Amino acid sequence: MTSKIFKSILSVAVAVLVASLIIITGVLYQYFSNVQEARLKDELNLVASATEQLGGSYLEGLKSSRYRLTWVDSDGTVIYDSHADVAVMENHADREEIQEALVSGTGSSIRQSSTLMQQTIYEAVRLKDGSVLRISVGHATALFLVRGMLQPIGIVLIIAIILSAWLAHRMAKRVVEPLNGLNLEEPLENDVYDELSPLLHRIHAQHLQIKRQMRMLQHKQDEFNQITDNMKEALVLLDNAGRIISINPAARTLFNTGVDCIGEDFLNSERKKDMRMALKEAEECGHANFRMKKNGKEYQFDLSRIDSEGITHGMVILAFDITEQVNAERNRREFTANVSHELKTPLQSIIGSAELMENGIVRPEDVPQFVKRIHKDASGLVTLIDDIIRLSELDEGMEMLYEDVSLRSLAEEVRETLTDAAEHKNVSLEINGDTGTIKGVRRLLYEVIYNLCDNAIKYNNPGGRVKVLIEQKPESVTLCVEDTGIGISPEHHDKVFERFYRVDKSHSKQSGGTGLGLSIVKHAVQYHYGKITMESERNKGTKISVVFDV
Amino acid sequence: MRNRFDEQLFELNREIIEMGAMCEEAIALASKALMTGDLELAYRVKANGSGIDQMERDIEGRCMKLLLHQQPVAGDLRLISAALKMITDMERIGDQAEDIAEIVTFLDGRTMEDVNLIEEMARETIQMVTSSVDAFVKKDVNLAYKVIARDDVVDDYFSKIKSSILNIIAENSSDGEFVLDLLMISKYFERIGDHATNIAEWVIYSVTGTHKEV
Repeated sequence: MTSKIFKSILSVAVAVLVASLIIITGVLYQYFSNVQEARLKDELNLVASATEQLGGSYLEGLKSSRYRLTWVDSDGTVIYDSHADVAVMENHADREEIQEALVSGTGSSIRQSSTLMQQTIYEAVRLKDGSVLRISVGHATALFLVRGMLQPIGIVLIIAIILSAWLAHRMAKRVVEPLNGLNLEEPLENDVYDELSPLLHRIHAQHLQIKRQMRMLQHKQDEFNQITDNMKEALVLLDNAGRIISINPAARTLFNTGVDCIGEDFLNSERKKDMRMALKEAEECGHANFRMKKNGKEYQFDLSRIDSEGITHGMVILAFDITEQVNAERNRREFTANVSHELKTPLQSIIGSAELMENGIVRPEDVPQFVKRIHKDASGLVTLIDDIIRLSELDEGMEMLYEDVSLRSLAEEVRETLTDAAEHKNVSLEINGDTGTIKGVRRLLYEVIYNLCDNAIKYNNPGGRVKVLIEQKPESVTLCVEDTGIGISPEHHDKVFERFYRVDKSHSKQSGGTGLGLSIVKHAVQYHYGKITMESERNKGTKISVVFDV
Repeated sequence: MRNRFDEQLFELNREIIEMGAMCEEAIALASKALMTGDLELAYRVKANGSGIDQMERDIEGRCMKLLLHQQPVAGDLRLISAALKMITDMERIGDQAEDIAEIVTFLDGRTMEDVNLIEEMARETIQMVTSSVDAFVKKDVNLAYKVIARDDVVDDYFSKIKSSILNIIAENSSDGEFVLDLLMISKYFERIGDHATNIAEWVIYSVTGTHKEV
């Protein structure tokens, strides 16, 4: 900017300087030339009149160093010259001014010297006798004058350069100062040059655009964060060098790191072999998945390479908690194995007995005993299958009819059914408490009470007691089945509700039962959103309470 | 220039973590082989060992190149020199895991289940190695000091095992070879603990620039 202004100022100054120099020199030179010519003519006239009166002697007596006087005869012969020897001078008849004077009475001419710096002005006049008197004087040319002025002009030029530089600097500063002070955040609020307003408007428009884009970006980022922050799955984004770009809270918990791991190597957070192999595989094949135990839970990791137009940009790692799924799978497998085993055992016994009878090995008097065993095993099988069907119904979460059910009357029904069994074991069964009416599925609630009472009788000591107590409260109904039986030791408390779990495996055949009773109870209670608690002590008895909300 | 250097340091860091993880895996596999008598696991430790050796040479080469070409100073120089020392310790851990696995192959399927002390010692040692690698990963001086403190626990286990082995010999001297193998194994674990301690010390050096007072 400064140099541009400097150049402009300087070129103007030089142009002005040169122009004025030319004009002034021209005008002055013209003026002085005219003055000189007039003076020369006056002198010549004076000398001519003197010469006409006094003759050559006047000229001889005239001493002048400035002017050169030459007296030429009408045929061109030089009669007198003030500066040179007449004898060596050539004929002057061919000189322009002499010829002119001979013809018209006066003549003049200007001749350049060889150096161009000097010129000579000639004036001639014809005397009365026909001879011609000529006067001449040396005279500097315009060029000479210019040469003389070169030095002062140079000085002026230098001053002009310095001045221009200083001015340019100051001007640039003055122009730029308000520009530097522009408030670009609020471009339209500035009050500077009018010439700047288009620029300021453009900046303003760009500001708006940038703000809009920033808002959009922020919005997208927020959206992304909202999604990733609240998802249960762990999500990690890596760049193509394996550094973490983004990691959501679930992933931070999973890999046990803080926010500061962003930008660090992912291996800093997880360096297990499975992960390293999967990263390598995903890098090569684009995708990898594996399962790994972490923090006591089972996780499924999915890794995908992010490609765009053939260039790899990084990697997404997604981890799902599949603990429940794995547990459910394991339970199902175990259940299937258990069911097959439980179904197979009585069938084997039935087949065995039948085979023995078929082959006639059994003595006739023993046949009823074998038939009885077959009958017992077959009915056991039916019970088991019934239980499995009931459980699977509960598992399916089938819609069942809800009605008002009195727990008390259900308990009475159960007592009737179990009277034989209780008498057989010499166990007393008493029912106390309120009617305990709740909304529920009659058949399922019957199963709950039946199984609890059945267990209380089955695992009781001879002469023992079973007490069923039903308490109605404003918000809930509690069903409590208490026995004086063999009890359950604490380590089994959590497990007795599992399918096919037996506290005493060796006596399971003796007591009958399918191992599914308490499991059915648990599911049926859950179906009614009830709560089940158990208190039990070895050899003292067991108390199981079920609380239903009204 | 600095960018390229940073990238190389990043790679170095990653390789050390990888090597550390490989050591963890080697010793975990070796002790699992020891506890279960699974020869398959024991052979895998051996395969792992050659990987660790290769890794050591790679890291060593990288460190040398960095030292020669970049002439690092201050923290960078400490990191690289600590790396050079650490990989030696890691390589020794890998070797000793291999040695344990080799003894397992000679045990003819006899497992250590009855010797609880060795199992506990193995668990403690694995934890030490994991923590020392963690200390490097997180540049965590406190964790490194904890690792160093834990070495005493492992040393205690060694002396306990030694005295219980003496008891076994006193009771039943016919089982000499098996008992000696046990002693060797516990000595290897004790040495692994020492190497983990060394790694922790190098972590402290690379972070603080001072050696832990002996």
